[in-house]
Amino acid sequence: MYQLKAVDKKFPGVHALKSVDFEIKRGEIVGLVGENGAGKSTLMKVIYGAYQPDGGTIAIGGKPVRFQNPRQAMEKGIGMVFQEQSLIPNLTVMENIYLGYEQQFVRFGVINWKAMAAAARKQLAKVKLDIDPATITSALSFAQRQLVELAKVLTLEERVEGDLVILLDEPTSVLAEDEVKMLFAIVRDLTKRASFIFVSHRLDEVMELSDRIYVMKDGAVVDVVQQGGSTVEQIQHKMVGRNVDREYYREQRQKPFDAAKVLLEMDGVSLPGRIKDISLKVHAGEVLCLVGTEGSGREAILRTIYGMRTPVAGTVRIKGQTVTSFHPQAAVTAGVGYVPRERKIEGIVAGMSVFENMTLSQMGRYSRFGVLNVAAERALARDWITKLSIKAHTEHADCGNLSGGNQQKVVLSKWRSGGSEIMLLDHPTRGLDIGAKEDVYEMIRDMSDDGVGVVLVADTLEEAIGLSHSIIVVKDGAIQQRFDCQPGAKPTLFDLLHYMI
Amino acid sequence: MDLQRLKPHFPWITLVVLVAFVGITDPNFLKPVNLLSLAGDIVPLFIMALGLTFAIYIGGIDLSAQSMANMITVVASVYLASLGLWVAALCVVLGFGLGLLSGFITTRMFVPSFISTLAVGGVCFSVAQWLSGNRALNMDAEQRNALFGWMIGRTGIIPNELFIAAGLLAICLFIERRTTLGRALKAVGAGEMAAAASGLNVTRYKMLAFAISGAMAAIAGLLFSVKLSGGAPTIANGFLLPAIVAVLVGGTPLTGGVGGVLNTAIGTLIVAVIRTSMLYFGVQATQQQMVFGLVLIVAIALTIDRSKLRTVK
Repeated sequence: MYQLKAVDKKFPGVHALKSVDFEIKRGEIVGLVGENGAGKSTLMKVIYGAYQPDGGTIAIGGKPVRFQNPRQAMEKGIGMVFQEQSLIPNLTVMENIYLGYEQQFVRFGVINWKAMAAAARKQLAKVKLDIDPATITSALSFAQRQLVELAKVLTLEERVEGDLVILLDEPTSVLAEDEVKMLFAIVRDLTKRASFIFVSHRLDEVMELSDRIYVMKDGAVVDVVQQGGSTVEQIQHKMVGRNVDREYYREQRQKPFDAAKVLLEMDGVSLPGRIKDISLKVHAGEVLCLVGTEGSGREAILRTIYGMRTPVAGTVRIKGQTVTSFHPQAAVTAGVGYVPRERKIEGIVAGMSVFENMTLSQMGRYSRFGVLNVAAERALARDWITKLSIKAHTEHADCGNLSGGNQQKVVLSKWRSGGSEIMLLDHPTRGLDIGAKEDVYEMIRDMSDDGVGVVLVADTLEEAIGLSHSIIVVKDGAIQQRFDCQPGAKPTLFDLLHYMI
Repeated sequence: MDLQRLKPHFPWITLVVLVAFVGITDPNFLKPVNLLSLAGDIVPLFIMALGLTFAIYIGGIDLSAQSMANMITVVASVYLASLGLWVAALCVVLGFGLGLLSGFITTRMFVPSFISTLAVGGVCFSVAQWLSGNRALNMDAEQRNALFGWMIGRTGIIPNELFIAAGLLAICLFIERRTTLGRALKAVGAGEMAAAASGLNVTRYKMLAFAISGAMAAIAGLLFSVKLSGGAPTIANGFLLPAIVAVLVGGTPLTGGVGGVLNTAIGTLIVAVIRTSMLYFGVQATQQQMVFGLVLIVAIALTIDRSKLRTVK
């Protein structure tokens, strides 16, 4: 009933969707799984009209359609339940449900609240939610809000002729077990009204709920699995695809670290609501990887080390010195470098040149009495442009115009050239193509050779396993398990997943 | 040549077109003496705009500049007799300090700069009223000429104000292009999150931007009071709008990060030409602010970087 044929989507430097075929039948629940960057979210955005495909066709009921924006897709019966909820917290439930569609309740320029409440109650009944539609949304639990969101999408039923397709993006990520069960029961019940596309990192849940599962990898659909036709392990294998290539992660360059030299030490560090009692050590030449699901506290640990958050308990010691003031400036002075996940927002300053970006964290070293030595700055930049073969015309090139891989090289050389001894890397290969990823892996090995201690939050589990000396699995802000990761004796994906979920 | 690449050249092209246009309408306009005195007359406004550039460059605004200048004309007139030349130092320190206060309120108390500077401006205005007894004050002409006469005379056919303007422009340009402060302000304007993640003390640099703006507004006020040989709490009214226009038509957008003080120099000249041409076309003084208001809206709409704005309130 709903069909994508050979859909293609390219972004500068990334082939996000490679000739994807996708189909959903009436009343079906289709699962969509894949690693980060496999193309799931791009595919979803194409389906609900936020992206326009570069090639291929979309058809509903055999008729080709083209959406310029999500609103047009909604008019054809395609609704989206967002991962970050789209409800406005200070409005009532019914106002949220009919946001933008109040016109039907307006008589003589005034909203008939009674009519709206009655209509909203009918929508809420569809998802079996028994609450007063005049409740302020922020007073609801997260699970209830999720159902309101679903009810809101189900209003399409009355507005649209034909079948509904509803996308659920990670709907269970913050739900408790019984809430998940309830949601699944409701979704199953709703299949008489709509078809569902269910996207989740939790494979077991996808397998439980879905009639069929699309497995994506590197922008393509690699397999379509029928319910009960595969085990979790088999699907995982398809998601990862290639057998982990030891060459790819430069494993032959992994050398033992200097266990006598502790660069960074966390002892019982806690941050309310984010991390609990974190203790870890990073040695010279070590790559320590923090593994966990989204929101598990990996990033919070990095940000605490970098001084962007102040812990309420525990101590952080950098090169033996206990950190007393938590500020990035203090961390940088102590020799910590930070490569943020959001490269374009926190990594580089677009509009500033390559050399200006490179010295931004170390202007003190390139100035006297506040006056910059621009010649020295430019020399440094030229040096690193050659060293890392950064593709920029000159050191004056605007960093915002470089490709993602070259931007990341600028960010990395900012800290490397400043002699940072502890590097915090948050998804350093996110959104990079394979060649650029390999360059980053090379650089991480270089750091180890130079005795730099690296704390890494990797983009994928195989990356974590391939690169690190040690792995710490984090879940709900607490350390679950530690793994040694010597070449030849590395833990498997399933070893890690066991403690992650 | 697409529009985006042409954009940085808009300001000077606008200036050349305007000058040519007015020059054709009235050939007297293009005489060097006329052009020089035209430029000389705009110097207090230019100095204020120079300072404002720093506040706008980081993505903020300083609405206290005009009230600051007002207050300084009063302070200068009141304390010239007792402090002599030191009154200049008092003015600059006062401007710097109050600018720092605006910066503190903005960065530490998280009050948007348009409110914090509006509030500080209100304080300045009130101080001016109180200090002056709400009337116009005069400086002692002899003392003024002895101590500050050099500010306003002429050297050959060149008004001395232009030397002051050139000197301050050079200092500001140096700060912007060659110092860690200027580099940090650029980073804050173009990508504050990245600046903070690089370990810059963003708060301190932002406070300094407002302090510079305050100090420059004070210098503008001082020069203005010397020129008029007196001060009053409303004497500089009508400066703020054209000064903001000068920064924006010069090419420093409200979103910050690009442009700079050289752009403001061109922007100020555009304002000067618009002002003069209004005289030619018989637009009365009372109506000039209307024109500047319209120019401001057009300038903002043309220069603002919409990708940096998520919502506008």
